[in-house]
Amino acid sequence: MTEHVLQMEDVTKTFGSGRTEVRALKKTSLNVSRGEVIAIIGPSGSGKSTLLTIAGGLQGPTGGEVQIAGERITELSEKDRSKVRLEHVGFILQSSNLVPFLTVSDQLKLLDKVKKGNMSKEEREGLLEELGITKLTNKYPNDLSGGERQRVAIAKALYSNPSLLLADEPTASLDSDRAFEVMKLLKSAAVKKHAATIVVTHDTRLTDYVDKVYKMVDGVLHLEADKGGAEPLENGRTDFLEKGGNDDGV
Amino acid sequence: MFLAWKEIKQNKLRFALVTAVLLLVSYLVFFLSGLASGLAGLNREAVDKWQADGIYLTDEADKSLTQSMMEADLADKVEADETAVLAQTNVIADNGDVKSGVSLFGIRPDEFIMPEPTEGDKFSEALEVVASDSLKEEGFSIGDELDLSGSDVTLTITGFTDEARFNAAPVLYMNLDDFKKVRPGAAAQSAGREEQPEMVNVIIVRGGQPDNVPKDLEYMESETFIENLPGYTEQNLTLTFMIYFLFAISAAVVAIFLYVLTVQKISMFGVMKAQGISSAYLSRSVIAQTFILAVIGVLIGFGLTVLTGQFLPAAVPVSFDYGMMAIYGAVLIVVAILGALVSVWTIVKIDPLEAISG
Ligand SMILES: Nc1ncnc2c1ncn2[C@@H]1O[C@H](COP(=O)(O)OP(=O)(O)OP(=O)(O)O)[C@@H](O)[C@H]1O
Ligand SMILES: [Mg+2]
Repeated sequence: MTEHVLQMEDVTKTFGSGRTEVRALKKTSLNVSRGEVIAIIGPSGSGKSTLLTIAGGLQGPTGGEVQIAGERITELSEKDRSKVRLEHVGFILQSSNLVPFLTVSDQLKLLDKVKKGNMSKEEREGLLEELGITKLTNKYPNDLSGGERQRVAIAKALYSNPSLLLADEPTASLDSDRAFEVMKLLKSAAVKKHAATIVVTHDTRLTDYVDKVYKMVDGVLHLEADKGGAEPLENGRTDFLEKGGNDDGV
Repeated sequence: MFLAWKEIKQNKLRFALVTAVLLLVSYLVFFLSGLASGLAGLNREAVDKWQADGIYLTDEADKSLTQSMMEADLADKVEADETAVLAQTNVIADNGDVKSGVSLFGIRPDEFIMPEPTEGDKFSEALEVVASDSLKEEGFSIGDELDLSGSDVTLTITGFTDEARFNAAPVLYMNLDDFKKVRPGAAAQSAGREEQPEMVNVIIVRGGQPDNVPKDLEYMESETFIENLPGYTEQNLTLTFMIYFLFAISAAVVAIFLYVLTVQKISMFGVMKAQGISSAYLSRSVIAQTFILAVIGVLIGFGLTVLTGQFLPAAVPVSFDYGMMAIYGAVLIVVAILGALVSVWTIVKIDPLEAISG
């Protein structure tokens, strides 16, 4: 049994070939455990989104291996990968994460319909409470502020109790106060739901809320800061020794 | 269905437009089909009423009733359970107030094509006729004396019968014995010779084996006979062609409309696919939407057609064949769904990656 929800080993990604070849990712390894929140920062075009989409099984790597919740998704067909996404992965995007013609509660109901939702009523209400959107359930996305929208997006992503939560610049469309607030909520909700979380962001100030900060430069990932003890988890795990594949429990 | 219905409710105008197009197309289809069966009835009503299996004409007539001319005695030579002879000519009947082009049928009262009057009595005295009840609406009534074009004879209406129109003209049924006095030019002929064989145009039969067709005669089934009525097939084909064309148009309109709506939603679908919602679910939703809209459109179109039918003057030859309309309605719905397949294809091709990195 592995404790890492996401295991990426020697993953590379190359777009095009010959003179137009772009090596977006160069031999990257990354492991993220349940309840752990990491941030990836780095300049534009450095390969952050590429890493995230590979981690979420939206595209395959050129080389290396990716496991989500123990499933080697690099060996799966697109259909099976879609199933892994449905069961294990939650996405939060910069914007337009929501279906414009559904109210907040219908957004979640839709997930129930496609069997993605697996929360009890209490859990759901707890989640809405946690994110402070209980009063918004009858509103349409257009009637929400940017921050509210992102909070709904977080609720949506967490609604399936995903093992892996991936957020690509979730705060980019928000002013910094809202951004802090959303980031804080994202972190606490993710920890509560026990999801392994990766947040890609430009904003270095937001990294205060995460356990680890990675920096991506030109397709190479470095560990920038490890604040593993920043917010101890209930089960007493205070430290992680990633980066070498130490998969055993702590 | 959930997604489909919620979206329709939220974007009423958009979907109302699609429905409106389908409504108008189905209205037109239904109306044309009503017109087609109305016009067909105008041509074939009388023939259908006979409930005959087939008709003998002379083979030189080339399937044309007016060109066929034979001796009535030939009826004894054809093999059939029942036979009826028919002499026919087109004349203008004038009751003093109104004139109408009619089809005059000379028949024998004891044979099976003798009409049962729905009003008034059968013809019995010389020069009496039973007329098509469509003449009533034109202003004819029982007891009217009719002057005929091309002869000095006067006919008297003794009764009306329903379903008695032939090749777009109302029928007057009269006794074959009197018919020769009426046939244009008949007077001159009979002046020449006293004893002439009785002439008829065709022999109508029920049952029997048309294997032994008497010399110089040709047998055809009633349906073939009808199809060969002047203008009948041409008219029918024209209307049918228009209806089929409307099917193609509605498929195209729905395809374009839904495609535009789908293209607008590509990034939304992409996000949903990234979240693991399958193409199949999204496609079903589009199909369900089309189905809902098409059913609503076709039902309203149907209602409007029937409503319009109530207010049409009797002169408009519309008659609604509900079985046929149900089939056309179903075809319209199917065709709309075929149009939606373009959108399904678009959805299947959406790459969730693009939505994420867009
Ligand atoms: N589908 C693709 N085809 C070709 N090149 C691509 C493709 N996707 C990404 N790239 C290239 O890979 C590199 C990394 O792209 P990526 O989107 O991961 O950057 P990023 O770090 O997310 O940038 P940003 O902060 O601007 O979002 C870029 O040079 C980009 O041009
Ligand atoms: Mg990016």
